[in-house]
Amino acid sequence: MSELFASPYFGVGLSVIAFGIGVKLNRKLKTPVCNPLIVAIVIVSGVLLIFGIPYESYNVGGEIINMFLAPATACLAAAIYTRINILKKYWLPILVGCVAGSAASMGSVYGMCRLFGLDDSLTISLIPKSVTTPIAVSIAEPAGGVVPVTVVAVIGTGILGSILAPYLIRIFRISDPVAAGLAIGASSHAVGTSKAIEIGEVEGAMSGLAIGICGIITVLFSMLAF
Amino acid sequence: MKIIKQIGIIFSVCWVSLVIEKILPFAFPASVIGMILLLICLAAGLLKMEHIQEKADFLLENMAFFFIPAGVSIINYFDVLKNSVIQLIVICVVSTVVTFAVTAYSVTFTVRLMNRRREEKRDE
Repeated sequence: MSELFASPYFGVGLSVIAFGIGVKLNRKLKTPVCNPLIVAIVIVSGVLLIFGIPYESYNVGGEIINMFLAPATACLAAAIYTRINILKKYWLPILVGCVAGSAASMGSVYGMCRLFGLDDSLTISLIPKSVTTPIAVSIAEPAGGVVPVTVVAVIGTGILGSILAPYLIRIFRISDPVAAGLAIGASSHAVGTSKAIEIGEVEGAMSGLAIGICGIITVLFSMLAF
Repeated sequence: MKIIKQIGIIFSVCWVSLVIEKILPFAFPASVIGMILLLICLAAGLLKMEHIQEKADFLLENMAFFFIPAGVSIINYFDVLKNSVIQLIVICVVSTVVTFAVTAYSVTFTVRLMNRRREEKRDE
C-alpha cells in the first residue's frame, strides 16, 4: 500500500486538489488571510500527518512541481518587460526605492534576529523574506538556511503586507502612487502586488516591477554579506 | 504545438542559465540569471512576448502552486520552530512596516528632488 503513495501521481494530485480548494476558499471569503498557498500547505500537511504518509513519498511528486520554480522566476522578466515604458520613465526613483527597501528589509531582519538571539541558520532563512519565494529560496538555501522556514516567512510577509498596505499608505501619508506601489512590492512581493492592483493601476504596475528588481538587488546584497 | 514551443523556449533559457551559473566565478542563483537572460532576450528583440506569452502567464498566475512541496516540508521542522514562533511573527511584522516606510519615503524624496531639478532647469 505504502508504495502507492510514493508514486508521483499521488504528490502532484494531492497538491493540485489542495490548491484548488485554497483558490475556491479564497474567492469565496475574499480575505488575504485565506491565501491559497497557505490553505494548500495546511491541507497537504494534514493529510500526510493524519494518514502517516512519509514526506519523502509525497515529495516524489513534489520534486516534479519544484522543477517549475526556476522557469516561473525567469518569467518575472515578462512582468518587467511589459512595464518597460514606466521603468524607463521612473528608473531613478524605482532604483533608489528598491535599493533602500531591500537594504531596510535585510538590515531590520538581521538586527532583530540578533536581538532575539536566533541561530545562524534561522537568521539566514529569514533575511531574504521580503522578496518573491523562488529568489528568497535561492538565496537562503546555498547559504545554509532552512528552506521551508524561508517559504513560510515569505508567504507570511506577503499576506501581512497585503493586509497592512492600505493602512500603511494612510499612516505614513503616502500620496504618490509610484511610491505606494514600490513600497508594497518591496515589502510584500507578489502577494502584496495583488492588493496593489486593487488599489490602483499605477500602484499595481510599480509593485509588479519592484518584485523582480528587489529580487535582483537582494541577491547582490546577499552576495556581499554571505 | 504553440505551448510546447513556449515551454521549450523557457526551459532552454533556464538550462542556459544553469550553464552560466556554473561558469560564473561567484555564486549567483540560476533562476535570477534566467530572469535577467530572458529580459535581455526580450529587450534585444531576440524573443518577442508572443513567443512566451501563454507559458509565462501560466507560470506567473500559478506561481504559488509551485511552492506547495517546499512549504509542506515545514512539517519536518516543527520542533525547530516551536520555540521561536513569537520572535518570527514580530520579525515579520516589524520588518514589513520598516521596509514599506523606507521604500515609500525614499521614492517620494527622489521624485521630489527630480521635480525640483526640473523646475530649476525651467527657471534658468
